Amino acid sequence: DSHVQYERVGADVTMKCGSMDWDAAVTWTANGTDIDESHLNGSYLILKNVGLSQSGQYFCYEGSSWHLKYQTNLRVGTPPKEPVLMCRSNNYPKGFYCSWHLPTPTYIPNFFNISVIHGTKDMVCEKDSPPKNRCHIKYLQLFSTVKYKVTLTVTNALGKNFTTLTFDEFAIVKPDPPESVVAKPVPNNPRRLEVSWQNPSSWPDPESFPLKFFLRYRPLILDQWQHVELSDGTSHTITDAYAGKEYIIQVAAKDSDIGTWSDWSVAVHATPWTEEPKHLTTEAQITETTSVSTSSFMAPPTTKICDKGAVVGSGAMAVCWTAGLVVAAYSVLFI
Amino acid sequence: GDSWGIFTFLCAALCNLPALPALNCSEELGAGQSIQQTYDLTRYLEHQLRTLAGTYLNYLGPPFNEPDFNPPRMARAERVPSATVDLDLWRGLTDNARLAANYRAYSRLLCYLRVLDGQVGTAELRHRLSHFCASLQGLVLSIGGVMSSLGYPLPAGPVGPPGPPGASAAPNDFLKKMDDFWLLKELQTWLWRSAKDFNRLKKKVPPAVVTLRLEARGF
Repeated sequence: DSHVQYERVGADVTMKCGSMDWDAAVTWTANGTDIDESHLNGSYLILKNVGLSQSGQYFCYEGSSWHLKYQTNLRVGTPPKEPVLMCRSNNYPKGFYCSWHLPTPTYIPNFFNISVIHGTKDMVCEKDSPPKNRCHIKYLQLFSTVKYKVTLTVTNALGKNFTTLTFDEFAIVKPDPPESVVAKPVPNNPRRLEVSWQNPSSWPDPESFPLKFFLRYRPLILDQWQHVELSDGTSHTITDAYAGKEYIIQVAAKDSDIGTWSDWSVAVHATPWTEEPKHLTTEAQITETTSVSTSSFMAPPTTKICDKGAVVGSGAMAVCWTAGLVVAAYSVLFI
Repeated sequence: GDSWGIFTFLCAALCNLPALPALNCSEELGAGQSIQQTYDLTRYLEHQLRTLAGTYLNYLGPPFNEPDFNPPRMARAERVPSATVDLDLWRGLTDNARLAANYRAYSRLLCYLRVLDGQVGTAELRHRLSHFCASLQGLVLSIGGVMSSLGYPLPAGPVGPPGPPGASAAPNDFLKKMDDFWLLKELQTWLWRSAKDFNRLKKKVPPAVVTLRLEARGF
C-alpha cells in the first residue's frame, strides 16, 4: 500500500516493511537506488536525523521474490513558523485586502485559514485565485469605531501557528502609487520641468475621497532629494532645476485625511530644456562662410522654439510667430 | 432679537476677512468659503484630540491606554450619536441631512465633554479639555453658519445638559471609564468622518452663490 509520510527535519524515522516480520529478508530502495544494509535493523529501515534531501519514494521488496511489500512517499519538512500577515486598503472606501506568507519554507503543503471579526460580527474574506495568498473584504459600514481583528492560522502535517492583526478602518488606508508619471522639459526654460501623473486606477472615488501627493526630485549627480507636497491637482512644474542636468522624479499619493503614503511611483527621468549649442559647424566650414555673423544669427529649426506639444495656450503661439518674424527680418538684413 | 442675532452671525461668518468692511456681505465669499473653514476646523480638532486623548487615556490608566484595547460595544454607550453609517446611505445623504447629522453629533458630544470637564482630576486635563471644548464650540457654530447660509434650518433638540444626572450615571468606576473611552472614540471617528463629509460638500456647493434668506425670516 502507498501513502504519504511527513517527518520533521532532524527526526529519526523508522519504516516498517508493511506486515513483514522483523527478521524477514527485504530490500529497500529510495528514489530507485538500493539502500545499503547498514541502515537496516532487521527488515526495518532506520533513517537518523533526516534531511530534506531524503524526501522521496521508498519501496520495500521481499528478498527472494521481489514482490513489492510496502511503499511510502516520505516528505521531510518543518512545522510552520509564525506567518507574516499584512492588511491594507488601497481602494477606500470599498474595502481592504489581506495578504500573507511564511517567513521560511516548510517544504510540505500548508493550509491557511483566515478569520475576520468586526465587533461581534464574523466577516467573510473572499479568497483571490488559488495561487495568491490573499483575500479581500468589502466594507459594509463606513466610519466604524470598532476595530477589525484578523487572525491567520497556518497548518501542516507537522504543526500549526497563527498571527493576529487588530486595526481601525482608517489605519490601514494606503493607496497604490500614482500612475503614468510623465516629466517634460519646458521650452525656453532651462530651469523648469513639467511633471504630470494620474490617480492610481485602484482608487475608486477620487471625487469624494481626494488624494494628495508628494513629489520628490533630484539631479542624478546628487544624493539629496527635494520634496514638494501638493494638496490637490495632478501636475506640478519644478522651477529650480539645475540647467542641463538629468533629473530623477517620483510621486507618492495619500488620502487627503487618513492613512499612510503610498510607495513611490516608478521613477521618470527628464532633463530641462537647453539652448541648442551655436558652434556646431567645424573649423573648415567656418572659413568657407562669407560672413561669420550671418551664421550666428541663423534661426535654429522652428520646431525647437515652437514645440506644439509643450506649448500651452494661444498666447505662446503668438510669441512663436513673432520670434519667427524677427529672426526672418534679421536674416534678410544680413544677406 | 433672535433674527438680528442670526443676521449678524451670518455676516460675521461670511465676511470675516480682515480686509473687508464688517457688513459687506459680498457674494464671492459664500458657503464654499465657510465649508472650507469648517473642514479646516475639523482637521485642527482632530490634531488637538490626539494629544487630549493620549493624556486622558493615560489618566484613566490601563487597559484604556493600551493601543490594542478593543472592548465590545455595550448598549449603554449608544447614547452618543454614532458616525458609523452604511456606505450607500452615506453617499446618498442630501446636503441638509449631511450637515444636520454633523451638527447634532457635535452638539451632543460637546455636552458630554463639558460634563467630563467638570469631573476630571488634574489641572492639566481640565485646561486641555476646556480648550478643546472651546474649539468644538467653534465647530458647532461654524456648521450652523454653513447651514444657515444654505437656507437649512438648524436641527432642534436638546442643546442643554444631557438629561438628569442620575439616569445615565455609570453604576461603577470601571464602567464610567468605559463611557469616557467610548466618548473619545466616537469623537475621533466623527472628526474623521466630518473631513470626508465636508470634502463632499465642498465639491457640491458652488462657492460663488450665497442666498441670505432674509424674506423667510420675516424681515
